Amino acid sequence: MKKYLLVTGILALLSSCSSLLEEEPKGSLLTNTFYSSASELDMATTGLYGLVNLAFNQTAGFSTTFGADDMTASRNGNKTPFSDFDTFQAGSSNDRMPIWWINFYSTIKSCNALVLNYRNASNNATATQLNNAAGQAYFLRALSYFFLTRVWGEIPLSTDYTIDYQAKKANVEDIYALIVSDLQNAEQMLPDTWKGDSKRFQNSINIAPTSGSAKALLANVYLTMAGWPLKQTDKYALAAAKAKEVIDSKAKYGYALVDINVLWKRESNYSSETVFGCFFNTNISEFTFSNYNMICPNAYGSVDEGAWGDGFGELDFYNKFPAGPRKEATYQRDYYPGNEPDSLVVDYTKTTDKHPCFHKYTDDAAFDPLTHKTSNWIGNHTVHIIRYAEVLLTYAEAKAMADGVDASAYDAINQVRKRAGLKDLTEGLSQTAFRDSVVAERGWEFAGCEPAARWFDLQRTETVAKANSYRNVSEQTLIGKPDDGTHAFYWAPIPIYDQLLNKNLGN
Amino acid sequence: MKISLLNFHNNSTRHALLRLLIIGALALSSQVTFAQDKTDRVVKGKITDYATNQPLPGASIYIEGTASGATADANGEYTVSITDPNATLVITFVGYDTERIQVGGQTTIDVSLIPSLETLTQVIVIGYGEQKRTDITGSISSLSSTTYKDQPVLTTSAALQGRMAGVSVQNVSGAPGGEVKIRVRGSNSINANNDPLYVVDGVALFSAGLSDINVNDIESIEVLKDASATSIYGSRGSNGVILITTKKGKAGETKVQYNSFVSFNSVMKKYDQLDAVAYARLANHIAGSAVFANPDALAGTDTNWQDQIFRTSVTQSHQLSASGGTEKTKYYLSAYLVDQPGIIINTGQKKYAIRTNIDTEFSDKFSLELGIFATHQKLHNHVDVLDNGSAAIIPGAVSWAPTEKIYENGAYNRYSSIGSPLAENPYMIAKERLNDVTSNSILINGTLKYNITEWLTYDLVFGANINLSNNGYLNNQWINATNPSSGQGSSNSYTLQNSNILTLHKTFADIHDLTVTGVVEETSNRYTSFTASGGALTSEANGYYNLSLNGTQGIGSDYSAWGLLSYIGRIAYSLHDKYLLSATYRADGSSKFQKGNKWGYFPSIAVGWRLSEEQFIKNLNIFSNLKLRASYGQTGNQAINPYSTLGLLKENKYSYGTGSLAPGYAVGNPTSPDLKWEVTSQTNIGLETSLLSGVLNVTADYYIKNTKDLLLSQSIPQYNGGGSKYVNIGKVQNKGFEFSANVNAISNETFSWTTGFNATSYKNKVVSLGGESVVNLDYIGDGLINTNIQAVKVGESLGSFYLIPWQGLYQQGEQGFGSKAGDNKYEDVDHDGSIGYGDRKVVGSSIPTWSFGFNNNVTYKNFELNIFIQGVQGNKVFNAVYASIASPNSRVKYPTLAAAANYWTPENTGAQFADPASTTNRNYIESTQFLQDGSYVRFKNVSLSYSFPKEMLRFANIKLTASAQNLFTITKYKGYDPEVTSTGLTTTGTSDAYGGQDIGAYPSARSFTLALNATF
Repeated sequence: MKKYLLVTGILALLSSCSSLLEEEPKGSLLTNTFYSSASELDMATTGLYGLVNLAFNQTAGFSTTFGADDMTASRNGNKTPFSDFDTFQAGSSNDRMPIWWINFYSTIKSCNALVLNYRNASNNATATQLNNAAGQAYFLRALSYFFLTRVWGEIPLSTDYTIDYQAKKANVEDIYALIVSDLQNAEQMLPDTWKGDSKRFQNSINIAPTSGSAKALLANVYLTMAGWPLKQTDKYALAAAKAKEVIDSKAKYGYALVDINVLWKRESNYSSETVFGCFFNTNISEFTFSNYNMICPNAYGSVDEGAWGDGFGELDFYNKFPAGPRKEATYQRDYYPGNEPDSLVVDYTKTTDKHPCFHKYTDDAAFDPLTHKTSNWIGNHTVHIIRYAEVLLTYAEAKAMADGVDASAYDAINQVRKRAGLKDLTEGLSQTAFRDSVVAERGWEFAGCEPAARWFDLQRTETVAKANSYRNVSEQTLIGKPDDGTHAFYWAPIPIYDQLLNKNLGN
Repeated sequence: MKISLLNFHNNSTRHALLRLLIIGALALSSQVTFAQDKTDRVVKGKITDYATNQPLPGASIYIEGTASGATADANGEYTVSITDPNATLVITFVGYDTERIQVGGQTTIDVSLIPSLETLTQVIVIGYGEQKRTDITGSISSLSSTTYKDQPVLTTSAALQGRMAGVSVQNVSGAPGGEVKIRVRGSNSINANNDPLYVVDGVALFSAGLSDINVNDIESIEVLKDASATSIYGSRGSNGVILITTKKGKAGETKVQYNSFVSFNSVMKKYDQLDAVAYARLANHIAGSAVFANPDALAGTDTNWQDQIFRTSVTQSHQLSASGGTEKTKYYLSAYLVDQPGIIINTGQKKYAIRTNIDTEFSDKFSLELGIFATHQKLHNHVDVLDNGSAAIIPGAVSWAPTEKIYENGAYNRYSSIGSPLAENPYMIAKERLNDVTSNSILINGTLKYNITEWLTYDLVFGANINLSNNGYLNNQWINATNPSSGQGSSNSYTLQNSNILTLHKTFADIHDLTVTGVVEETSNRYTSFTASGGALTSEANGYYNLSLNGTQGIGSDYSAWGLLSYIGRIAYSLHDKYLLSATYRADGSSKFQKGNKWGYFPSIAVGWRLSEEQFIKNLNIFSNLKLRASYGQTGNQAINPYSTLGLLKENKYSYGTGSLAPGYAVGNPTSPDLKWEVTSQTNIGLETSLLSGVLNVTADYYIKNTKDLLLSQSIPQYNGGGSKYVNIGKVQNKGFEFSANVNAISNETFSWTTGFNATSYKNKVVSLGGESVVNLDYIGDGLINTNIQAVKVGESLGSFYLIPWQGLYQQGEQGFGSKAGDNKYEDVDHDGSIGYGDRKVVGSSIPTWSFGFNNNVTYKNFELNIFIQGVQGNKVFNAVYASIASPNSRVKYPTLAAAANYWTPENTGAQFADPASTTNRNYIESTQFLQDGSYVRFKNVSLSYSFPKEMLRFANIKLTASAQNLFTITKYKGYDPEVTSTGLTTTGTSDAYGGQDIGAYPSARSFTLALNATF
C-alpha cells in the first residue's frame, strides 16, 4: 500500500515539473514584450526623462564646460576635477566628466528601443499617440548626441540597444546627420502643445518637448554645424529659418521672456521662458535621485555660507559683465559668513574663495534668503535646457550670418538686452561685429552652469584660446595651452572606463 | 544576576508567549517520575571520560525502559534508585558513546565513556542520510556544541568562527543582527553568490537563512567540503554545505536547562583625531587665510563626535529548554530571548524564538520526526554599512570638525559650515532616524519514515521555510528637512521542499556493506512584497503608522519565484570495513535558466582506505585510527536571481515636477538565453589519524577546485548604456590545504589541558576570463571613490585590489607630472606621461593567505579556563574611512585625522602626508596610500568558569562564567576593526570579488560577559 503511495507521489512530482521550471516574472516588465500599447508607450517616454535628468542635476556633468572664461573652480578636494578642465589639464580619468557620457548614452539606449519598437503598439494606440511617443524619443536622442559630440567629438554612434565591445568612433558629420534627421522627425511627430496631458502640461506650460522645442533645438544644431568643426556655413540660413518658425509661433508654443528679477527665483520653476527643461520635486514619495536637483541650492553657493562652491565666476568675465538687473540675478552680491546676516555683510572679495558666486540655482524651498542657510542638499530648481532667450539669440546670429544684419536680427538680440535692463545694441554693426556681439550677449545671458554653455559658443566660433587669453593673473594658472588653430583641448578625452573596455576608443 | 525575565513585563505579548512555553514545559516534565518510594536499593558511581579520566558532569543515567534516572553532578557522580534487580543502566552524554550496564548485584558502578570521535560506530549526518564516521570517504568537519560551550554566542556563525579548517567566518558587520560572511574553501564564483548551503535537520534553508536559527538549539554541525560530500547537493553544493542537527530529547532523561549571559559591549578602538586647536591651525594652513581667527582660543571646546555616537551597550541572552521523553516519544522544547542594543546609539535588535522537536514511533515500521521553529526578530535602525544618506553616521562622525557643536540656538546644527560638505550632523542622524524591521521566520521540518523491509527504508521529508517581514520608517524633519516622510513595506517568502528518499542497506557475507540511496526532490520559492511610501508628511506624531498623513503617496510591489527539480542517487560500499567506495550522481533542473540550459548533471566518486584495520599497521601499535581518502566530483552554482536571463526593464519614475511619481521604464540589462550552470570540479585527498591512544588526533586535506563557465557579470560599455550582463566566461581555481589537530595534552584527576588547532591556507587564482585580461567591477563609495578599486584579473586572486601605486612624497629637487616637492608621488604604470586611472595595477588581495583557530581548555578541579584565539594573515583592506579624513576631498574640506597634521614642509620632509595646501598636489583616494594590512590575531574568547558541586546547591548544577570576547587584537589595521568590511556583502549587493573595502562598516564590539548555566 505504502509503496503505491510512494510511486504515486513520485509521479505527481514528475508531472508538476513543467511549471516548476518555467519563469513568469509577474512583478516585472520585459523589454521584448513592452511597447505594446499607448499606456506602455507613455511609461517608456516617462522613463526617458529620469535618464536625461541625471545628466543635468549635478555640476559633474557640466565639468567639461569649465574651460570657458565665465566660470572657474578652486583646486582642492573634489573641485580639482572641475579645475582640471578650467586649466586645461583634464585626463581621461577625470572623475566628474563621465556623468554626461554615462547618462546621455543611457538615454540614447532607451530612446533607441522606443524608436525601434513603438510601432508594435499600432493596434493599441492612435496614430497621434504613436507619433508623440516616438517624437519624444527622437528629440531626446538628438539632444543627447548633440551634447555628446560637442564635448567628445568623434564617438560611438548607436541606434539600437545591442552591445558592441568593438564599436568604432563615428565621424562628426554622421553624428550630426542623425541629430538633424531625428529632430526633423521630432518636429513632425511632437504636438504643438501637451495641453490635456496632465503630466506633460502643467501650470500652463509644456513639461515635455513640443514641436516648438524640436525646432528650437534644431536651430541650435544648425548654428553649431555652421561653426567648428563642420563649418557648413549653409546651415546659418537653416538655423535662422527654424528659429524664426519658433519665434513666429511663440504664442502657440507658449514661449516668452520673463522678468529677469524672477527668472531665477523659485516661482519660475514653471515659466514660459522654458522651451525645454528638466523638472524636479523633492516632495515625492520615495527617493529617486533623478527627480532631485543637486545643483540647487548648495552647489554654487559660497563655502563661507556652508554651501559647496562647485564653481564661481571668473574675475575678468565678471568685471566685463554689463551692470544691471541681469548681473544682479546672475551673481550673488552679499555674503553672510557663518550664515549670520547680523554680523558684517561682505562682498566676494572678503570671502575665502575671493570670487563672485553664481546665484542662478540658489533660490529654493531649502534656501533661507535671510541667512543664506540651506536645509537640504537637493532642491527643486528647474534646469532650463533651452530658454526662449537662446532661440532669439540663435536667430539673431544665424540671420546675420546667413543674409546679413537686418532689423529682425537687431530686434531679436534687443529683446534679450531689454529684458536684461540694457539699452539696444549699437546700430549699423558689421556682420562680424554683430555676430561677436551676439556671442558676447549669449555669454552674459547664459553665464555659469547652464546647458547653453558659453564653452560651446567659444568652441564653435574657435575662440577658446582667445577668450582665455584675458584670464586674470590672480586665477589659477593655465597648465594646458588651448589652441584655436589646432583645436587642442576643444574635445575632452573619452572616459577611461570605456577606453579600457574598447581599444577602438583610444585617443 | 538580576537580569532574568523581569523585562518581559514590559511587553504583554512577549510575556504571554513565554508563559505559554513554560507551562508547556512544566506540563511535559510532570509526566516524569521522580518518585522514589519503591526504592529497593541505591546505586552510586562516577562517570568519567575514558581517555582523560575526567569526570563528566551532566552525563545522564537512566534505567532502561523507565523514565527514572539521574544526572551526574559536577564531579561526575550520580545516585540512582533501583527497584528491579534486572535493570539495565543506560549512560549517555553528548559527544560520547552510550553505555549499557546490567546492574545485577552491584551498588557502585563507575563508567568510563568513550568519546564518540574515536569509536567505530559513531554515525554522522551526511546529505540525505547518515553514515558511520569511519566509512566516510569525503571531507567532512564536525563541530559539537560542547566545543564552544564557554564562549557566549548569539549566532551560529559566531560558534563556527575559527573552529573548523576550511570554513571561514567573517563578521563583516558589527551591527546587532549584522551580516556574516561564511565561506567553505574559498570563493569559486566572481559574481554569483558564494554562500554555502545550510541544511537544518534535512531541510535546505533559503539562502543566508543561518541567522534565523537559534544557536542554542544546535546539537552538532557538519560541514561538507569536498565534492564527494557535496555533489549530492548538486547545483547547490558548490560552495560547501553546512548541515545543522538540532537537539533531540532522550528517553528517560528529563533535563531542564537555563543558560543566560549578560555582556557589556563597546567599540574596540577609535580613530585618533585632531583636537579643535590643531584642526583650526590645519584649516588656516589649507585655506591660506584665517578661517579660524584664533585657533588657540578653541582649546577645550572640542566636540568628540565619535564619543557622541558610540556607547557601551548591555546585551542579554536567555535560553530555557526542557527535554526528555519515553522510548517511543521524545521531545525537546526551548524558548530563547535576546536583547542586544548596538554600540552605536539608537540601534539594536531583539529576538525571540521557540522550538519544538518531537520524535515519535507510531509502530515498528512507522515513525515521525518533527521540528517546528519560530522566531521573531526586531531590528531597530539596522544597517551593516553606515555609508551614505541617512545612514552616514560613521563617515559623519569622523569627518565632522571638532570645532562644530551638536546644537545651535537650541536646535541641531544640521550642516557643518566648515568641515564636511555632505554629511549631516552625525549625532542628529543617529538620534533621529527611525527604521524598524520586524521579521517572523518559521522553519518546519518533518520526516515520515517507513521501514518497508529490514533493509529498505522510505523517508518522506517535507520542509517549509517561511519568512514574513515588515519594515517601517519615519524620516522626520531632522532626517529630511524639506520632505519629512514615512513608509512601510512588507515581504513574504515561502520556500517549500519535498524530498522522497529510498534507502537500501544490506550486508552480504559479513564483508560487503552496501548502501544505495535514491532521491526525488522538489524545491520552490515564492516571494512577494509591497511597499507604501509617502512624502510631504503633515504630522510626525504618528511615526510610520499613519501613512495617509503623507501629502504625496507612492506604492510598489514585487514578485519572484524559482523552482528546482532534482534526481539523486548514491552508492556507498565498504569491503571488510577497510576499503571504501562511494559514488553519487545528481541531476538538477532549474527555472533560472532558459530552455536547453535548464538541466545540469553532477557526478562524484570517492575511495577510502582504513589502514588502521590492516594487520601491518595494527602491528605498529601507534595508530588507533588511520584512514586515507580521495575524491573527485562536480558541483554547480545557479545562485543568480530569478529572471536574470530575461532582460527586464528598469523602473524609472518621473515626477514631471509634481509631487507624485508617474510610472516609467527604461531599458535594462539584455536577455541572456544562453546562460547556463557554473560548474566546479574538485579533487580532494585527505588523511585522518589518531595516535597515542587518542591523545593526538590529526586530520589533513589537500584540494584543488576548478570552476569553469563562471556566472560572470560582464560590464557593458557606458556608450551602450552601461550596467552589466551575465555571461558564462572564465575559470577560477582554488587550491588549498587544511589541517586540524586535537591534543588531549594533560589529563589527571584534578588537572587537564586539551587544545585544538586548525589552520587553512588556500590560493585563489583567476585562470581565464575568456580572452579578456581584466574585468572591471562596479564601484561603491560614490563621490569619494570614483573608479573601481578592485578588479578581476587573469593570474590574480579574486578580491584583488586595483590601485594607483603611491610612492610617498616628492622631496626637494624632485618633480614630475606637474607635481613638486611636498606633493604625492605616484607611479606612472602605463608610461603615458601622466597619472590617472590607467596607472592602476593589482596590489594585493582581500583574501587571507592563512587563517587559523587555536582553542585551549584547562580545567583545575571545578575551574575551567578557555582561551580561544583566531586570526587571518596576508589580506589587505582598503580603508576608505581613513582616506576620507586624511586629506582634503569630497568628504572633508579640512582633514580631521590626527596624523593629517603631519604634512610635508621643507622642514618636515619625513611627513606622512602631502602638503594639503599645495595647488599642484594630486590626491588620488584610489591609490595604495590607503590600502592597509588586514592581518590580525584576535583573542576571540577568554573565559573562566566555576562549576558548583550539586551537593552544595542541592537543586541544580550551576556554572558561572566570566569572559571577554575580542579582548584584544594584534593588527596593523588603522580602522575600527580589520574584520568588518563594507563590500562583498549581500546587503550592498557586491560579490566576493569586491571583498575588503571599509567605507563605514558597523564596527564589532569588545565584550565582557557574565554567564550562568543551570541544569535542573
